[in-house]
Amino acid sequence: MVNRHSISMPFSGGKAPPWARLVGIILYIAITFGLAYSLEDILPRAAEIPLTLFESLAFLAFLGSAMILYYQPIPKVAKLILGILVLLLLMPALGLRNGYYLEVATQVGIFAALALGLNIVVGFAGLLDLGYVAFYAVGAYLWAFFGSTQAGLVLTSIKDFFPLGGEWFFLFLCLGVIVGGLAGILLGLPVLRLRGDYLAIVTLGFGEVIRVMVNNLDKPLNLTNGPQGISPIQRPPLFFMPLLQALGFDLEPRQIYPIYFYLLVILIALIVIFFTRRLDDSPIGRAWIAIREDELAAQAMGVPLVRTKLTAFAAGASFAGAMGVLFAAKQIFINPESFTLMQSIGVLAMVILGGMGSIPGVILGAILVTTLNLQILKALSDWLNAMRQAGTVLNLGFIQYAMKNLPVQLEPAKYERMVFGIVLVLMMIFRPEGVLPASRRKLEITANRETPPEAVSATPPVTGGGE
Amino acid sequence: MPFFELNDVHTYYGQIHALKGISVKVEEGEVVTLIGANGAGKTTTLKTISGLLRPRQGTIIFDTHRLDQLPAHKIVAMGVSHVPEGRQIFPRLTVLENLEMGAYLLNNAAEIQQNLDHVFQLFPRLKERVYQPGGTLSGGEQQMLAIGRGLMLRPRILLLDEPSMGLAPVLVEAIFNIIRELNQQGITILLVEQNAHMALQVAHRGYVLQTGRIILQDSAKALQANEMVRKAYLGEE
Amino acid sequence: MQTETVAPTRAVSRGIFSSQMLRTLFAPLGQLAIWTVGTAVVLSLVVLLLALIFRTSSSGVDRFTLVLSILPQVIVDSMVLGFVYAMIALGYTMVYGVLEFINFAHSEIFMIGAVVGAEVLISLSEAKALENFNPLLLILLIIAAGMAVSGLVAVVVERVAYRPLRNAPRLVPLISAIGVSFFLQDLVRMLESIWRNAFYRTYPDVPSFSQRISFGDTLDVSYKSIIVVVAAIVMLLALNYLVGATKIGKSIRAVAQNRATASLMGIDVDRAIALTFLVGGALGGAAGVLYGLRFSTINPYTGFIPGIKAFTAAVLGGIGNITGAMLGGIVLGFLETFGASYLSIFTEGAFGAEYKDILAFGILIIVLIFRPKGLLGEVVGERA
Repeated sequence: MVNRHSISMPFSGGKAPPWARLVGIILYIAITFGLAYSLEDILPRAAEIPLTLFESLAFLAFLGSAMILYYQPIPKVAKLILGILVLLLLMPALGLRNGYYLEVATQVGIFAALALGLNIVVGFAGLLDLGYVAFYAVGAYLWAFFGSTQAGLVLTSIKDFFPLGGEWFFLFLCLGVIVGGLAGILLGLPVLRLRGDYLAIVTLGFGEVIRVMVNNLDKPLNLTNGPQGISPIQRPPLFFMPLLQALGFDLEPRQIYPIYFYLLVILIALIVIFFTRRLDDSPIGRAWIAIREDELAAQAMGVPLVRTKLTAFAAGASFAGAMGVLFAAKQIFINPESFTLMQSIGVLAMVILGGMGSIPGVILGAILVTTLNLQILKALSDWLNAMRQAGTVLNLGFIQYAMKNLPVQLEPAKYERMVFGIVLVLMMIFRPEGVLPASRRKLEITANRETPPEAVSATPPVTGGGE
Repeated sequence: MPFFELNDVHTYYGQIHALKGISVKVEEGEVVTLIGANGAGKTTTLKTISGLLRPRQGTIIFDTHRLDQLPAHKIVAMGVSHVPEGRQIFPRLTVLENLEMGAYLLNNAAEIQQNLDHVFQLFPRLKERVYQPGGTLSGGEQQMLAIGRGLMLRPRILLLDEPSMGLAPVLVEAIFNIIRELNQQGITILLVEQNAHMALQVAHRGYVLQTGRIILQDSAKALQANEMVRKAYLGEE
Repeated sequence: MQTETVAPTRAVSRGIFSSQMLRTLFAPLGQLAIWTVGTAVVLSLVVLLLALIFRTSSSGVDRFTLVLSILPQVIVDSMVLGFVYAMIALGYTMVYGVLEFINFAHSEIFMIGAVVGAEVLISLSEAKALENFNPLLLILLIIAAGMAVSGLVAVVVERVAYRPLRNAPRLVPLISAIGVSFFLQDLVRMLESIWRNAFYRTYPDVPSFSQRISFGDTLDVSYKSIIVVVAAIVMLLALNYLVGATKIGKSIRAVAQNRATASLMGIDVDRAIALTFLVGGALGGAAGVLYGLRFSTINPYTGFIPGIKAFTAAVLGGIGNITGAMLGGIVLGFLETFGASYLSIFTEGAFGAEYKDILAFGILIIVLIFRPKGLLGEVVGERA
């Protein structure tokens, strides 16, 4: 453990003694939590003050405490206790205060799990998959189909069985793993022989094929209900309701479900993290790294190329399948809009931002990109709108701009693509190993950057071997 | 000031220190050879001169101009022509197009024609194959094409990298005769060879490279007589 | 990069100069004509034969008459679409030929051309200047505007997002290109939102373009379709000339075959690569304008689907091969239009035009798996 992170030790804060760190992190958690919880009471209400933006940033800082905690060299018990405190108590408390926080945290968890799955394919095995969200769609439609009346429309003879009861959800969560993995193998078999850039385009094509099919398979058989999507979808039952009531918590299902799903996502995310870490350290993990670094050499060493790539594809896809089932149950309603190329690129941006192959990095990427998309862009939009409505005049000293002249179409909330794009380009140019690089990956990329003879001559690019 | 000079040149491949301070002088009209084993830094030296690699330290001076910070295409324009190792002809272009590519920097059709005639005079074989794609030529013909292409700009100094590599003995002989002829026509030549025996026969002076350093320099005659050179590079006991 | 014919040699071969030159220019066009006619004939025969075999539908419609009646229109539409794909595909193939890199952002270069064309037309229309403009001049103006902006954007993109990564592992510039693609989509959206407060743009109606010529009962062709095809052919001729017979083309071809050696010939490699992006981008921009003229409504996300299809066309023709990209575009245009037009007739509406995008991806996957060299053979990669 310690060894693995010896190369990069972010947030470690110099050489402070453990007790000081402990106090520091507790203070940090307390302050960020306090700000996220009570900013709306503290700040005066005025159009010029971007309250939601500040709140989002405070919330982001609070989410970040989990990451910072992870890197502190403080006793494991303290880490564990603080971690449980943050994730299981403070976060739901914030959620009861403002439901949107919990929604964002749940989405962060879902995307973190998705990104960890894609990380296996892109980060570990070095296969660029641009249609990753297709497997997510497969899982989501699997449960949506059977967990709603949709299946009854097709299987008319046994239509009374549907929708399946909520308790089936847990079985389908496992089925999602299997079906996702199978879909990965089915796609992978024909295309994994292709060279890296062709593979990227073909997976992109596959993602689009799935999206078009989902959009149009309302005829001849109504499998997906087309663009309207499927709704309502069964949620897992609240089997612990009597227990809660016995304990004296009298909460409505409306209040419980967000917290329930949040906890479920945290649990699954932890399972995913556990599996990814095991995979990373396993022989198959090393085989992935081997083919990523040099296919030919790996083959020469006896690594079966297609089978190794297939396992990576299947493993990544199975995570996505399971998360899809969860997503369908959480949303109650799904349609093809949730499974576009933009989603795939978004997950890719998380992996790239955090650091390909780096588990903490990918989680950080998921936190940053998701909050940026769901909260910060939206907050910017709200702020501009508020100022527009209030007729604020911006005074920038040398220039004055009446906000009511701002075009209505200019809505920052809609610029997720720009965010993804900027993340991808900047990371590739300035820090391809990511914000929190995997120790192995970092070595590899610095080595790659230095070794080829071309690197010496920056301007005249040349190919061809050396001596 | 010498016609052409490398002064304490250091070149790196990433972390690998390939040239550790190479200093070479070539006077106008000379044939100078660099000999040495695989990986000694011979090709790296030529690539550093022609701008394919950039030295991290040291200077390269040609006829009062500094070459070491110029990009490759500007170095060619100054009259330094590099015939790379392994021929590196354009396989899908015809012989004629390959030669024309060598004259890329010339705009005067008459001048191009004149240089073309000169090349065909040196290599009549190429004239027979004018419209054949370069990739379909034999190894020897490709080497002729590569040299011919390098001559299309009428260079003042020609850098030849392993011109005899992979050729049959008869062809090796022919190539070295051409080198002699070119030199008699007044072209200065810096020749890199593993075939030290042949190289020292055509050269006036030679440098012996080993792991990025020059370990010996002398007239070609003296090198041929040198005990160490005879053992290590001429294969004599 | 390969041009099918061998460039003429000005210096020695003065005698055969003119005929060589003509071959460079027109041989690819001849090939294009043969493939266009060939594809049209083969696909027509296939659908007619199918219609004869499954002549009567369950509702009693005579499929043969139906198929035959729309056939001329389908062929014209196929050609229009095919030429648009061909022009976009050239940008992918040229960049791939030189850098062995899929310029994912090329679809946005295409989209920018379409947006620029729309904005020029809209501005003229708002200034009430459309009517007194010579139609031919108008066409030239909007195409030139689209080409200029798209070409410049392509060069800037190369300089900023690709050149620093030229020696990085293969996937790094590809990921950067995907980023550029997404960035440009929203950048155009943002600029249009600020300037026009709208980012869905419609090409204004130009009366002289909207006329149609009728050929018998079954076929009438709009001027727009003719403009698209003629403009595309002129562009392809110009490209052949540029790549096959000029010094710029020579430098581009040399860099494609062997970058290091090209620089030893005195070719400025960076400049040649920038020129490749300029030419490919300009063609993409022209294609964007033609696409906009023909299909009217565009938005910042218009580029993605035609882009991916044009890439399919480039792969289909043999990526890196200029003539191949043109043929691939034509063939794909035909396959897609025939599929979209006839699928629902034969499946009684169960599957229809909505699956045409899948068709293109299916072709892409099949070609990559079974014949990655494409119709004319991949020529990059094999280096001396």
